Amino acid sequence: MSAITLTSSDGIEMSVDRTTAERSVLIKNMLDDLGDSGDAVPLPNVNEAVLKKVIEWCEHHKNDAPSASDDDDNRRKTTDIDEWDQKFMQVDQEMLFEIILAANYLDIKALLDVGCKTVANMIKGKSPEEIRKTFNIQNDFTPEEEDQIRRENEWAEDR
Amino acid sequence: MEGEPMPDALIPPTLQLQTNVSEFPPPSLSPSFKLDEGYSDDTRSQAEKDLGSDNVMALPNWVLALSEAGRAGMISLFLGDSLSRFKHFELAYSLLRSLRTSSIVAVVDRLNPVLHMDPVVKLPPEVTLEIFSYLEPRTLLNASLASRSWRDRILDSGLWRFLYANEGWRANLPAIRAFEEENFEPVSPQTRKSRLRHPEPDLGEPRQKKRVPPTWLDSRSGEGAPSTVFGGPQPEADDEGDHHMTDENNHTTDDHDRNADSFTDDSDFTMLNSLSLPSSPLYPPLQSSLLMRSLNGSAQINWTHLYKQRRRLEANWHQGRYTNFQLPDPSYPDEAHRECVYAIQFEGNWLVSGSRDKTVRVWDLKTKRLRYKPLQGHSKSVLCLQFDPSPEEDIIISGSSDKSVIIWNFSTGERVHRIEGAHLDSVLNLKFDKRYLVTCSKDRTVKVWNRRDLLPNSSDYPRMCRGAGATYPSHIIDLNDVSPSFIEAGIANDQIKALKPYSLLMTVQGHGAAVNAMQINGDDIVTASGDRMIKVWNIRTGACTKTLMGHEKGIACVEFDSRRIISGSNDNTVRVYDHASGAEVACLRAHSNLVRTLQAGFGDPPGADEILRQEAQAVENEFFAAQESGQAVSLGRREQRRLNGYETNTHGSRDPRDITALGAKIPPGGGGSKWARIVSGSYDETIVIWHKDGDGKWTQAHQLKQHDAVANAGRENLSEVARTTVAAQVQHLQAAQVLMTLPGHHAGGQAPNANHAQAGPANHHNPLQAPPAPANQATPQPPPVHHHHHHVRRPPLAPHSAARVFKLQFDARKIICASVDPRIVGWDFANDDEEIIEACPFFQGL
Repeated sequence: MSAITLTSSDGIEMSVDRTTAERSVLIKNMLDDLGDSGDAVPLPNVNEAVLKKVIEWCEHHKNDAPSASDDDDNRRKTTDIDEWDQKFMQVDQEMLFEIILAANYLDIKALLDVGCKTVANMIKGKSPEEIRKTFNIQNDFTPEEEDQIRRENEWAEDR
Repeated sequence: MEGEPMPDALIPPTLQLQTNVSEFPPPSLSPSFKLDEGYSDDTRSQAEKDLGSDNVMALPNWVLALSEAGRAGMISLFLGDSLSRFKHFELAYSLLRSLRTSSIVAVVDRLNPVLHMDPVVKLPPEVTLEIFSYLEPRTLLNASLASRSWRDRILDSGLWRFLYANEGWRANLPAIRAFEEENFEPVSPQTRKSRLRHPEPDLGEPRQKKRVPPTWLDSRSGEGAPSTVFGGPQPEADDEGDHHMTDENNHTTDDHDRNADSFTDDSDFTMLNSLSLPSSPLYPPLQSSLLMRSLNGSAQINWTHLYKQRRRLEANWHQGRYTNFQLPDPSYPDEAHRECVYAIQFEGNWLVSGSRDKTVRVWDLKTKRLRYKPLQGHSKSVLCLQFDPSPEEDIIISGSSDKSVIIWNFSTGERVHRIEGAHLDSVLNLKFDKRYLVTCSKDRTVKVWNRRDLLPNSSDYPRMCRGAGATYPSHIIDLNDVSPSFIEAGIANDQIKALKPYSLLMTVQGHGAAVNAMQINGDDIVTASGDRMIKVWNIRTGACTKTLMGHEKGIACVEFDSRRIISGSNDNTVRVYDHASGAEVACLRAHSNLVRTLQAGFGDPPGADEILRQEAQAVENEFFAAQESGQAVSLGRREQRRLNGYETNTHGSRDPRDITALGAKIPPGGGGSKWARIVSGSYDETIVIWHKDGDGKWTQAHQLKQHDAVANAGRENLSEVARTTVAAQVQHLQAAQVLMTLPGHHAGGQAPNANHAQAGPANHHNPLQAPPAPANQATPQPPPVHHHHHHVRRPPLAPHSAARVFKLQFDARKIICASVDPRIVGWDFANDDEEIIEACPFFQGL
């Protein structure tokens, strides 16, 4: 099992199992394109702290079967997250969003899914005010606008 | 956090710490150290003012009061030492712990922007799309109230396109594409400017227009966000540093789903931009519109709007809100069939009907008038038909009790071909696809015919299957006996000629009674017979691959959607079978007479096979668990098990006690989306709309009656003269029918009529008409159809047999029904709502 080196945006080099690293489609493609030159793979968009988390995740999931269908439209979306991933995602919001951005950048679909589900679960069942609180959002609607939108959205209640 | 006006960033961390610890009992207070109750502006301004002088001098005094470690940490802070984060943390923690709780709360408040951040600001649109796609529409609409930028992200056309498909709704994509192309309108900068200078007067009321004026969106976006219209900076989010990551992603082989086309296009669509100024008008506008226009003039359907209208339409189905119409338009009673109507099919703007009056009629659904004069050719009742108005096919095929089948040209009404003596008895049903015509008959057989010239080297040529119950005419070559090279040679030297269209390919026997109904799906033929059985046959060989039993009397109608077979029977039930295993998964009881016609739409969302399999598996697991725990569960026929005291539910209950069969690929009830719908028509004069309740069990949602529909449709716009004519005609017809029916059937004489007349308005008369939805209150709606009960001029009610339902069809918007009454009637669930009507051309049925 060959190891490769990744360089974070803040210049830290990390040695990773190639299989682990190849959970990232971006890295896999880079390695395929570059050949096994042994050079470090630069990841100018991911800092050390985030990269460590991402590698931790990839390590844990390196033996996962490739996801049954990468065809998103053909899958019902559940927000269920397995226990390990739930624990893994118990980080501050900044880290959570950074992980999501890194998963998006590195093209690690399953990690991106877990991250997105985590955020979705933070939105679920909350009132607009609670959502604002959760994410430190300024309410920039006037009370009239809020009222109008509320009424406009009533179509979704009728059944 | 960008909006935070306080200049925290200007204050060096050391000074912030210093203010934090100012409550810590200092050995000596410098003049600038006043006790404070948290974080008033006063404190901060003081800190700024004192920046860099007194405080630094004051520090050593109180730092001395700290523990050793604390002091080391403090010092390292000042020296910029790279001490471990752990020590930083410990220091900060011990400082904080020393504060009063109220101060800690204040610190936490102040740290809030660091701990809580807005994903819509932090994450690019394709990622928030992914997040939102995990949420229910109602959750999303609720979340859209969080802020303007949330609303903007959530009301994204691409997101709602996904949600639309996820409901199991289908859309007419060719119509959408055509609509977008038709509305493409290259806009030069010159015209755009002039439009901005002279905005349309009706800017605020797009809903009053049947279509959004092509200029509306341009001028609208011009008003709301002039800077973007003229190529100014993109508002919000995009200048966030993180976002370049998404651009870099483009060169990877990223899946298309996440970066759906609509998103890469979004930046071109100015209407999606929003300004975060509280004073700016809502953007996207409060009222969505069907079309979005980009700066270059290209148009895109707005899926958010489409979703909303489909949802409102489905709510009308659920609530039973509709208007009625009839064919012909009541003002043209002469165009009606002369006798009862056995067969109808509609597609697009056209409906074709076949009647006991021996004619086939083609109707324009817009005008509700005949397209051309009735097609004559059959010598007896027209019992079945199918048509395809597409230019490639342009065909009607009809079958009759005169035992023949006639092929007509749809556009011209010309008779193209006639299969004389197609069967030995009435042709009860027929279906065709591009390859074959299949007919079934009272003579108990099913026959397969070719639609085009057919050579034995074609894959459509029949493969003989001995002993399967199929017989083949002598002109069919048994391909089992000859080599392909012999066939090729024969074709080459013209010894083997192509079969002319509508040659008999095989006769399939196996039913013990009339074959009443059939369907084709791919290579499967499904037939339903008076012998109480449903059979599945292979269309190429004629071999019977499956026999389904369950109905207790003859079967009148059958539907087939590749996962389920749905049938209606003389035992008054509708049953749903798993196509794969043959297991009966539901038996619906509501009708009190033969179920003559039905249609089912399960609305399977994408990925349904897997969902259905999982649901079926879960049900079985529960059954086994119940069995193991000793509960009284057993398989077998529900009817027999009812004796045990437990009233079984056959409508799709997942209770282990209601399970009758294992191994099905679909759960009890048949699965499908929550919008699933079965509509059944019966000799009991009613049409029943079945919906699923919260537990997935089928329930009778609504009961519709032909004569109510006629009454409603007629009152709308019927002239006095026409009404009289219709009334006279109906009376004449009723007299004829009474003669035809068995004596004693109407023993009550006029009594049934009288009953109806009394009960009609109160009980049957569109009992479903609920008050308009609250959602509609925002915009003036056309008044609901008024049922003027005081109009005594209602056509006389038919005698008891007059409304036996023979055939119905539904699509996304309407049910149309043929019955003993020569007037074809419809229920339009768009319910006169302009916005729904505008969106309907882009919907497809379930």
